[in-house]
Amino acid sequence: MIQPAVELDGIWKRFPGVIANAGANLTVRPGTVHAVLGENGAGKTTLMNCLAGVYLPDEGQVRIDGVAQRFSSPADALAAGIGMVHQEFRLVPTFTVAENIVLGHAPRILDMAATEAEVANLAERFGFDVEPDRPVWQLSMGERQRVEILKALWRDAKVLVLDEPTAVLTPQEAVELGEVLRRTVAEGRSVIFISHKLDEVVSFCDEATVLRGGKTVASSISVADANASSLAELMVGEASIEPVSVSVSMPGDPALVVKNLSVLDSRGLPAVQDVTFSVRSGEIVGIAGVAGNGQRSLTDAIAGLQPVKSGTIEVMQADVTQASPQRRFRAGLAYIPEDRVGVGLAPKLPATENAMMREYRSLRRGPLLSWTRARDLCDRIINDFEVKIGRRDAPLAGLSGGNLQRLLLGRELSSAPDVVVASQPTRGLDVSGVRAIQRLLVQQRDEGTAVLVVSEDLDELLALADRILVMVEGRVVGAFDARATSRVEIGEAMMGATA
Amino acid sequence: MKRAVLRRREQPLRGGQPLAFVLGLLFALLVGAVLLAVAGDPVLETYTRMWDRSFGSAASLSSTFNRAVPLALAGLAVSIAATMGLWNIGAEGQILFGATAATLVGRIGADWPSPVLIVAMLLGAALGGALWALGPGLARAEIGVSEIITTLMLNEVALRLIRYLENGPWKDPDGFGFPQITAKPDGAGLGVLWERTHIGGLIALAVIFGFAWLVNRSVWGYELRLAGASPKTAAYAGVSLRRKVLGVMVLSGAVAGLAGGIELTGTAARLNESISNGYGFAGIVVAALALMRPSGVAVVAVLFGAIQVGGFSIQSLGVSAAVSNILQALILLGAIGAAVLSTHRVVLVDRKVVA
Amino acid sequence: MVNLIAALNISEVAVIGLLVASLQFATLLYLAALGETIAEKSGVLNLGVEGMMAVGAVVGYIAAVSTGSPWIGLLVGGLAGAAAAGVHAVIAVVLGADQVVSGLALTILGLGLANFIGDGYTDDPRRSLFVDLDLPGLSDIPWVGEVVFSATPVTYLAVGLGVATWFALNRTSLGLGLRAVGESASTADAAGHGVTAMRIGAVLIGGLFAGFSGAYLTTTGIVGAWSEGLTAGRGWIAVALVIFGAWRSGRAALGALLFGFTLALRNRLQPFGVEFSPILLSMLPYLLTVLVLIGISIKARHQPSPAPAGLGTPYRREER
Repeated sequence: MIQPAVELDGIWKRFPGVIANAGANLTVRPGTVHAVLGENGAGKTTLMNCLAGVYLPDEGQVRIDGVAQRFSSPADALAAGIGMVHQEFRLVPTFTVAENIVLGHAPRILDMAATEAEVANLAERFGFDVEPDRPVWQLSMGERQRVEILKALWRDAKVLVLDEPTAVLTPQEAVELGEVLRRTVAEGRSVIFISHKLDEVVSFCDEATVLRGGKTVASSISVADANASSLAELMVGEASIEPVSVSVSMPGDPALVVKNLSVLDSRGLPAVQDVTFSVRSGEIVGIAGVAGNGQRSLTDAIAGLQPVKSGTIEVMQADVTQASPQRRFRAGLAYIPEDRVGVGLAPKLPATENAMMREYRSLRRGPLLSWTRARDLCDRIINDFEVKIGRRDAPLAGLSGGNLQRLLLGRELSSAPDVVVASQPTRGLDVSGVRAIQRLLVQQRDEGTAVLVVSEDLDELLALADRILVMVEGRVVGAFDARATSRVEIGEAMMGATA
Repeated sequence: MKRAVLRRREQPLRGGQPLAFVLGLLFALLVGAVLLAVAGDPVLETYTRMWDRSFGSAASLSSTFNRAVPLALAGLAVSIAATMGLWNIGAEGQILFGATAATLVGRIGADWPSPVLIVAMLLGAALGGALWALGPGLARAEIGVSEIITTLMLNEVALRLIRYLENGPWKDPDGFGFPQITAKPDGAGLGVLWERTHIGGLIALAVIFGFAWLVNRSVWGYELRLAGASPKTAAYAGVSLRRKVLGVMVLSGAVAGLAGGIELTGTAARLNESISNGYGFAGIVVAALALMRPSGVAVVAVLFGAIQVGGFSIQSLGVSAAVSNILQALILLGAIGAAVLSTHRVVLVDRKVVA
Repeated sequence: MVNLIAALNISEVAVIGLLVASLQFATLLYLAALGETIAEKSGVLNLGVEGMMAVGAVVGYIAAVSTGSPWIGLLVGGLAGAAAAGVHAVIAVVLGADQVVSGLALTILGLGLANFIGDGYTDDPRRSLFVDLDLPGLSDIPWVGEVVFSATPVTYLAVGLGVATWFALNRTSLGLGLRAVGESASTADAAGHGVTAMRIGAVLIGGLFAGFSGAYLTTTGIVGAWSEGLTAGRGWIAVALVIFGAWRSGRAALGALLFGFTLALRNRLQPFGVEFSPILLSMLPYLLTVLVLIGISIKARHQPSPAPAGLGTPYRREER
């Protein structure tokens, strides 16, 4: 009986405040490409980090080729033949491809010419091209990923673990990756492929294990025999939280209109492609989709933080496509950014100064600020939005996530906006915090504000939204009536499974 | 196998910085004592003499205050730049160039009535310092060039400028062939406030309070603090980071230049290259110890003024005046070392484990 | 060339004197700059060069005249510089405190210590100097031979150290690791290189070389004795030189020759009948460095800056 290449048996891993893996299992047969499927937060990356020696599991066992192992560092895992390619690459941009591959695993005296030749040979064996003497900063994301894979192969990895590898690839590069993986397993090595995209799992992988809530809900399913629907259902499961009760809405005229919007991300790659939709007064539109499909660029572009490549944005019939964030605020657009503390608030400053950040120009008396009016504004926000704060002149840093978010929302909403764009508004909050923010958003809707919510939490969107749009790879691929759809239906759309 | 690592504390130790300062002071006195002993100098007598001549009498105290003035202004200049996270290492050069500009004003207005002349010279000094910081400020704001190096380089340029003037265009005909700049006009002396302390002390206090008021009460000050605390947030709020960087560097240079003008009109007889006397670098030490806060700068500056005055006085005991610089540097090194321990704790971990 | 100079009525002695002095100053600057380059390549900015040089100078002098051997002076001076650098290594690398402040404090400390230690040696008539070493055969070449191949052993040492540094940084895995530590400490850490250990080593070597540079001042004819303020801001030129040389030991050598030339011009322009103030010329190294820095920053918009990406940033392995 051939031993499984990798066995993870009953892995538990806890962090302060969260259980990432609750007895997860995984069995990978040698010479296969094995998918680890799950939504964000299901525990996939944590489980793989336990395999790769980045974390030490609290309970459970890791077996390689049937032999129990204890990895107390990534070096141990590497020595046992586990090579992991993380989502964030660990490369030195100014070094060449060869120098990066060889870093930490090179002979005392370097002969770069010979090394580069060896690197080129290795790459060829696995079916891809590299130029070993090119500096990495010149390479595309796909090319850099190849360097990361070569790093693992250079160290003779028997098990290659790829974390969401196609997130940074163009469709063509993804096809090429598939070829590389086929050659890798042809040599008897194994590949573990972490993903949430069903279509890739179907085209690249032989078997799949599905994780949900830190547990394994399905083991080693043969991909060829499964269908998209059943896989989606396994990943997404059934609703678990009682939704906030929401009355039926009576929407008015479109308050936010986005037409043919295309936005490039910070790397110059298309993040939003030709998106058109509108949000009417008195309705909540939710945008679903796994993070990284362009949602952030979309909301940043609407708020004015990201320049637009083409298309238009209108707030209350006023074209704000080229307007600054302050102009948009004055036009009635409020924004709750995903980056609460990095962009939305300045934690080193006290509450008063954060509260007045959007409107401080109207609080001035000549060159001076009217601190009495600023304090009044802050007090109003604290009271109206129930922000629990010790002293309003103490730095914000000590506040809980929920209170920070209440303050942020309060500041944005206190100007009675016509449109509210909220990006991951309840991420990381505890149950009461989540409820409070959700109630505030619904209240805004009931008062006639147009609300756009981007969220990874499908339950949240199903509970709050009137309409749900699904974004995949920068496009809106589906629009659903929230009252009439199901988790599975939306889940399928999110996974890229075409009808 | 265990090894020690530093882990960030969730909450920094309360009273950590003042404690670090005191620990730094003790560390410096201890190491200083060792050095003195090794060199065969009398430790107790040295320290006592330093105390006596800096704090021990009204005359000493007034000298200390005079020394504290350029230190405080240089420290303020550094902390002004630090509000935006910038390092103004060029206070030495800005002091020198400020004094040069003041001298120029003095040459033009040698016959003006004294109060007018002095005010003009001080304004000229501030302007000169601002100009000397303008280049580095622009380079940083527009192109992103490191202001650490540009300000550093301009220090040396300002120094050589004065040497050039000494040997050439402004050479003193009455100097017996010795290269020096002509003495400042008679009317260009700051009046005395108390004992030996000149009104430079009042000016320095006014500037410190003025800046604190500006930062806390004005719109510009609010924008500055926002930009310094969180650049992304400030950009989102519509604050022009480039303009703030430039403004802060120029203001910083102006304050340093003013220090040069005060030194020229207060204590020096003529412009020479030792007007900056290391105040520019000492100012960085002062600002660092005061945690870049203007309120603390004045206090630390008085302490360092005392050490400098005391340092001079021990020469009559046969002890090298370099002791004062050694002490200043040791206080800082000891304090930063101790400060790290107030924000981090030492933890023993398994040699290889990452998390 | 000889005829040109004769035709311009310039003394041959003056030209040779100028070139020799240029090489001497270049050696001085290069040693310190090479050490600082190594430290900065590992990601640590050490603004304490002036202080380390001063310490190396005074300790080197005392050791040399006490033992009668300039070689011992050079070695002990270097070790003293390394010891001074050790302060920066502890404060800035181990404890992770701000590198700018720590380095400046080291300059103040170093200068103060040097003056303190040197108090009493100021008018000491004793000398222990390196003698010019004539390279057989090569030193007979007219012009070039007298200048380049007839210098003190320290100059040859500097050249040797420069070559060794280039080789170590670019042709060994240790050098690759050091450069990785300076560019991306977390990547180097993940690859198994000890970031803290490498940085400490690099800073100490920087101090060693700065100490050599200082000892060079007091054990060769360039000055030969100790006095307060001996370093005269040349440590700052060395810092500038690192940038001017784009953090490469080869380019730094060329820059050292250029800056050395401007230093040598100081009092030697008379025989050339040039009126231009040598003092204004002495501003040149600093202004040139600013221009180079501006150039680097402008180019950095399209390609990475030659400065090590992690320069000035303390490294602490973060928890999850």
